[in-house]
Amino acid sequence: MAARVVLGRAWAVGAAVGWLGMLIRPAAHFGWCTGVARVRSVASRESPSGLAGGGRIMGDEATQVSAFSAGVAHALCFAGLAAAHYLSGRGALVSDPAHALRLLVVFEAPLVIVVFSLLRRDPKGCSFLRAAARGLLGLPTGAFLNAFGAIVLGAPIGIKYWAATTYWSLLMSLFTFVPAACVFGASKVNWQLLSHSIYCRPTDAVDYMISAPAHGAVIGAWLGAWPMPLDWERPWQEWPICVTYGSVVGHLIGMAISLVLVVTHKRRSRPKAD
Amino acid sequence: MGTLKRHGCRRTWSLLFFAILMLHSLAIYLFTRGFLLTRTELDVHSHQDDHTGIGPGCSSWPPPAVDRLVIVVLDALRFDFVAPSTFFQEKQPWMDKLKVLQKLAADEKTSARIFKALADPPTTSLQRLKALTTGGLPTFIDVGNSFGAPAIAEDNIMHQFIKNGKRVVMMGDDTWIQLYPDHFNKSYPYPSFNVKDLDTVDNGVIEHLLPSLRKTDWDVLIAHFLGVDHAGHIFGVDSTPMIQKLEQYNQILEDVIDMLKSLSTPGGPHENTLLLVMGDHGQTLNGDHGGGTAEEVETSLFAWSPKTPPNDVLSVLGKSSCNVDLHGKEVCVSTMQQLDFAVTVAALLGIPFPFGSIGRVNQELYALSAGTWDYRNDCTKQNDLVAWMQRYAEALCVNCWQVKRYIDLYSASSVIGFRVEDLNHVADLYSKAQANWSSVLRSTCPSETGSQDELKESVNKEHTSSALRLQIDAYSDFLESFAKLARSAWTEFDLWLMGIGLSLMILSVSTQACMLMKLNTFNQTSDKEIASSSFTPKIFFAFALVAIRAASFLSNSYILAEGRVGHFLLATSCIANVWHSATKGTFVIEEFAFLLLNILIRFGIEFGMSKQISGAIVSNDHPVSIICGLFGSSFCSDLMEIFPIISLTLLVCIILKCLSFAVSQRFLKYFVMSGSILSYTFIAIHWASESSLFSHAIAIREIGISLAPRLVYAIGGLSLVISLLYRLFGSADRLKVNERITSLSTAMLCSWSPTILLLLGRQGPFVALICMTIAWCIIKLQQKHQREFKLDREIYVADYISVTQWSLLAVCLFYLTGHWCTFDGLRYGAAFIGFDHFQIIRQGLLLSIDTFGVSHILPVFSLPFIAICWHNSASKNNKVKDAAFNSLIQVLLIYGLITSTTTTLTIICVTIQRRHLMVWGLFAPKYVFDAIGLLLTDLLVVMASLYYS
Repeated sequence: MAARVVLGRAWAVGAAVGWLGMLIRPAAHFGWCTGVARVRSVASRESPSGLAGGGRIMGDEATQVSAFSAGVAHALCFAGLAAAHYLSGRGALVSDPAHALRLLVVFEAPLVIVVFSLLRRDPKGCSFLRAAARGLLGLPTGAFLNAFGAIVLGAPIGIKYWAATTYWSLLMSLFTFVPAACVFGASKVNWQLLSHSIYCRPTDAVDYMISAPAHGAVIGAWLGAWPMPLDWERPWQEWPICVTYGSVVGHLIGMAISLVLVVTHKRRSRPKAD
Repeated sequence: MGTLKRHGCRRTWSLLFFAILMLHSLAIYLFTRGFLLTRTELDVHSHQDDHTGIGPGCSSWPPPAVDRLVIVVLDALRFDFVAPSTFFQEKQPWMDKLKVLQKLAADEKTSARIFKALADPPTTSLQRLKALTTGGLPTFIDVGNSFGAPAIAEDNIMHQFIKNGKRVVMMGDDTWIQLYPDHFNKSYPYPSFNVKDLDTVDNGVIEHLLPSLRKTDWDVLIAHFLGVDHAGHIFGVDSTPMIQKLEQYNQILEDVIDMLKSLSTPGGPHENTLLLVMGDHGQTLNGDHGGGTAEEVETSLFAWSPKTPPNDVLSVLGKSSCNVDLHGKEVCVSTMQQLDFAVTVAALLGIPFPFGSIGRVNQELYALSAGTWDYRNDCTKQNDLVAWMQRYAEALCVNCWQVKRYIDLYSASSVIGFRVEDLNHVADLYSKAQANWSSVLRSTCPSETGSQDELKESVNKEHTSSALRLQIDAYSDFLESFAKLARSAWTEFDLWLMGIGLSLMILSVSTQACMLMKLNTFNQTSDKEIASSSFTPKIFFAFALVAIRAASFLSNSYILAEGRVGHFLLATSCIANVWHSATKGTFVIEEFAFLLLNILIRFGIEFGMSKQISGAIVSNDHPVSIICGLFGSSFCSDLMEIFPIISLTLLVCIILKCLSFAVSQRFLKYFVMSGSILSYTFIAIHWASESSLFSHAIAIREIGISLAPRLVYAIGGLSLVISLLYRLFGSADRLKVNERITSLSTAMLCSWSPTILLLLGRQGPFVALICMTIAWCIIKLQQKHQREFKLDREIYVADYISVTQWSLLAVCLFYLTGHWCTFDGLRYGAAFIGFDHFQIIRQGLLLSIDTFGVSHILPVFSLPFIAICWHNSASKNNKVKDAAFNSLIQVLLIYGLITSTTTTLTIICVTIQRRHLMVWGLFAPKYVFDAIGLLLTDLLVVMASLYYS
């Protein structure tokens, strides 16, 4: 019953997401995702129409992404989050944070890697599989950096938090590090473009799509830590629940901002091109 | 000419800093006068043979009226728990549960009565018990000699009980034992700190209460139940556990009353006993208490004496507030002040009134005990009522005399007394009342006793009765107006003074900000583009950090977690730095080290906080004992002895290395070096002689324990003097400006640090290592910042972020070293390192160096390190010197601004939250620490600006 509801929801967003959800649902373990991503990537190459029309555009012109394809990319990532949320059920993040976070990671990881590998820089010099592999490599790296940052800021490190912290940092890595790893690879110059100065000068649309949600997630997580010391004695004040809420909300706001930026950027650059 | 002008300019800056210090002192003085109500404890006690009052009948303490007293304290007993529900607009589930009391009050009108007792805030158990027994008004600062320990030094009824041979039995809440460590013949204390435990204390009391009632080896029995208070704190008033608790109490009280009734036959042990069932304070519907709202302040008191007084008592009791109860019977309720409790109990038991009591013998409670009606004086012709009134008037007479004695002594010896006009008014009332007394006495006991004239007698009686009533009114008038005066002086905030203080603080902060902006524009006239491009976001970021920290004081949770908040912000700034340099591609190893050290700081702070919450002292050196948990205990104790000495050795090596680079003047260098080596050797000897690891002869141990610390203090003082002399007489012109400032500040730090390290205890070297490494990182990063902007010309601009990090680090160090902002967070042990005996100035000085050393003294004196320009190769020309000095002034100004901003926000929060539950527990101590910290910082800034100029 629940699965049908979930499937219905997912279809409403896009057929591809539902298909992925069915594939991934029995796979409770993260290690499956790599296989899934591979299968998915092969499938998308064989039948491009499966990506609801967005995939082709993205694949062809990664350097000049249209506002529509940016919207579709973000919608896919959002759909992954939403599907995982519905599947885990209401209040699962509070009652069993590790489980809920694991579901979020399992759903979000293949989507993010696929979507941003399609948006990779230099699509001719670098194959899709290579970009996806970069993303997979970036996932644990980014998770390590995020976990380190969280511990520096005061995240608890008791044994009972280990699972939750691991999954949380994987999720943060998906929000922040993996997209950039897929798109840029090891190019140092591109990475350095992702500072706050991106908002001041006109850049590529993909830069907006990577950096605004990532900044949003980090700032949201930072803000999400503030209710933790309050004496309200609510269950969601535990690490990493409110921080996760904060980062997800920040990430979504970042997505919205990046869309706005992409649109305004197009408006600005079009007259120049003429 | 130029030199002269320059010196003038420097003096001006120091003067300005001094003006800020004065402004802050004034603001804090005014605010404190309005906010922190101060009362001086007098260490004087009443004695049985005090020659009291004037005239006959008033020359000694009143005679006893009851033999034994049973006090059942039900913590947080709301008034509506006891009074019948018909007294309230609508019936609530928790009402009418103590049925036995209501029934007694309705059936035995002459011997039982329900009172609404009004407490004075703060309504916390400890303060209330203190007030109930001393008969005074406890305030936030009771200036007295109870330095740290909560034991009550003021005169109180417990003290009078043992002085006058009354035997006291106590059972229940162990707060009584803290307050009165050796006042009980027998006691059955139970721990009260675990709020979630509803039953331990109550069951303990129940176990001992009834058996004790049968015994005759006591005169006063105190049974303190805690269940209702705890049930309220956890579940709230409208909850099942609360109702169960009340029903349980009803059962217990019924048993107690039955027992007393059965034993109150003539000749029985409870023939002349008084039972009091009372709350110490009320509670809100959420179960909170501490503040001054009606729900918290209104508690109840039930009095019953098994022996019934004559019916005349009804005319004394009055029928002011009567209502029918659920069964249609009439129940009357009186109102009394809790302030009057101590003196009334003392009058009933016939013991001297506590010296500092300002209450009045309560008329109704006094009338309820039958013993007060047995009184006959020489004139036998009086009826019961007149005789009682005379007895009561005599008690009031003594009462007035005792209060007047307290007023006189208090005004003569207190820190902050009463206003003179008020005192005159009260003294006036007193003299009027006492002048009348002798004439009243004459009329009550007419000399012509032989007269049989009925008519004359009745007229006389009428006359006597009205004269006595007038006299009682006069006394009550005096006592009430003094209580009102004391209440306004000791429990009410003066909002005007608070407002003026607060606006002065805001004024001073804006002045500082203006000065800073002026200095900025002055410094940056030559390089506009730098100012515009990169400083604005940095200033904004630094400002945001300070503003967030300051705003966090609005919630008590963040004040409790201040160390963690400070660390969170420090780590945030550090991560932002890393991010900034990563995007610029200029990542350096110091930034990574800074991140790692942040983790260390964080664990240290968490450990310190866990100590604060549990209240138990784990060990002196807490960062080490984390490691200790991982290994066995025997290995651990050895490690704990050795680790500080190892880290001390490491520290000394680093310090000597730094010294050899930093101090360029030869004499100063060798002096400071030898002084440091000596001090640290003494510290090591001190710790070694304290430890059990090495066995020493006793003589050597004595030297190590008492002599070595004093030598450390002496060397510290000496090198302070030497560096001051060097500053005054050393030739300034031979050295480059950088070298000079570095030498000066190194000498200054080296003279302070051994003393502070010694006071911090064995955690010291470890903390010092962390502190030095972080400081090194911040300085290095600041240099990097300077290099980035190529500030090797004549412009010196302070890095706002570095200064903010410096101040956040100071906050973290305060908590890392095991301090926190309450008075029991002071490390009293540190005051006695090297000394055995208490002397207020010496020990106070050591305690303040321990408390503020690592968080205020060292950070301010080391500020020049982040102000000077390191890679400057310029010569000694005056322009460079001026610029360096400007940069130093700027850093000092920023640091002062940060401190005063946070303190101003603390003051605002305290003002907003002055009726908060935790105002005395949390906000007020935080205010005191911040205010002292601000003044100290200002003072140090003035000194630093003089010293380094």
